Amino acid sequence: MYKSYTSLDFREGMIKKRLERIKKIILITSGKGGVGKSTVAATMAALTAKEGMSVGLLDTDVHGPSSAFIFGIRSLPKEDRHGLLPPISNGVKVMSLDLFATGKPIPVSGKGARQIIKELLALTEWGNLDFLIVDTPPGTGDVLLTLINVLGKKAFSIVVTLPTSLSISVVRRTIELLLTSQIPIFGVLENMSYRADVGKSHSQSRGELLALEFGVKFLGELPIDYKASEAIDARDMPSLLKTDFAKTLLTLLEKSKLFNYNKTQKLNDGPIQ
Amino acid sequence: MHELTLVEGIISYILDIVHEKGGHVVSFKVVIGEFAQFDKNLIKDLLLELVKGTELENSKVMVEIEKAVVTCLCCNSKWGMDELLKPLNNDQREMIHFLPELLNSFSRCPNCGKSCFEIEKGRSVRVAEVKLNV
Ligand SMILES: Nc1ncnc2c1ncn2[C@@H]1O[C@H](COP(=O)(O)OP(=O)(O)OP(=O)(O)O)[C@@H](O)[C@H]1O
Ligand SMILES: [Mg+2]
Ligand SMILES: [Zn+2]
Repeated sequence: MYKSYTSLDFREGMIKKRLERIKKIILITSGKGGVGKSTVAATMAALTAKEGMSVGLLDTDVHGPSSAFIFGIRSLPKEDRHGLLPPISNGVKVMSLDLFATGKPIPVSGKGARQIIKELLALTEWGNLDFLIVDTPPGTGDVLLTLINVLGKKAFSIVVTLPTSLSISVVRRTIELLLTSQIPIFGVLENMSYRADVGKSHSQSRGELLALEFGVKFLGELPIDYKASEAIDARDMPSLLKTDFAKTLLTLLEKSKLFNYNKTQKLNDGPIQ
Repeated sequence: MHELTLVEGIISYILDIVHEKGGHVVSFKVVIGEFAQFDKNLIKDLLLELVKGTELENSKVMVEIEKAVVTCLCCNSKWGMDELLKPLNNDQREMIHFLPELLNSFSRCPNCGKSCFEIEKGRSVRVAEVKLNV
């Protein structure tokens, strides 16, 4: 008896094989725009590389990619027989659409965005990685859904919020989406919580209350640090890593034991009923 | 170029299908979208080379080129690839062959001047059919 199979996406097989060589995948999510996802993702990638681990950073913000900018990379990815080789900066392998679009706007539909994400995942030759850090776009649209779909089995998430009610209300929906999609939440990170030059004054933050609400870990607060945004504008990663922002992030990541974490470990008991 | 990566991906994907479904592969068809700009004969040769020694060795291999069809979502006009790529420089073309969605970054609709293209056909390489004898 003959059987015919059509509309097969062989890229999914390619992606699966590539992911076998990656130990941990962390989605930096929020749902809210402008909260510092890309800044956190890039800084975290560079800090992790400095700890001696092999790290990739995949920028999935199709409409507003920024990783190549933050790392100051201007070279195009090279191709070899294994696929596309991401340029390396500060020890991090970076793949981002802005490497290709070179500053031009990228107006694509949801369908186009899904294709781009799958293509980048299928073709990028990361090699063996300890960590793949994935910067995500704002919103809970096609890109995030595609990532959940394709990386879901292996990925967990760090959710970034600001200490404002508006941010919390948007981020709450993202947390719900992630949990119902069975993406474990490694923790909630609150960005721009206090001024680096003034220091902390409040006790319990809104991000912490949000984490409590879902029974997930609160990783801590990051300062508003003008030196960090200046370093980003100057495309100067070494200076960024010297800021209070980066130092605080490193302390929080070490405290959270992220570097030793395995997805098979149980993170939390899910939402509190 | 990444033809070899793709061809390897295609073969290991089809092998996974046979292993999952059982039986053997009578034929399979690979469609090369015009945007990918891959040479049909080169892809076919690579496929024939890489199936050697695998369970696909005796399967019939078909390779087809699919012409590109691009719709402008702003004015509903339809375009072929050449019309849209003509005004671009080589670097831009190169990037579009790699990620056709970048058409939106570099090209404009000859009819309405906007950039809201959706690629209907001819986007990239795909496995259009795998026929199994089970
Ligand atoms: N802790 C901080 N202190 C000072 N500036 C910051 C901090 N975090 C982020 N920024 C600045 O805020 C701006 C937005 O940050 P970023 O681009 O990382 O946010 P995002 O969540 O990725 O935004 P988008 O949703 O558009 O992708 C940037 O200019 C960045 O330099
Ligand atoms: Mg961003
Ligand atoms: Zn038009």
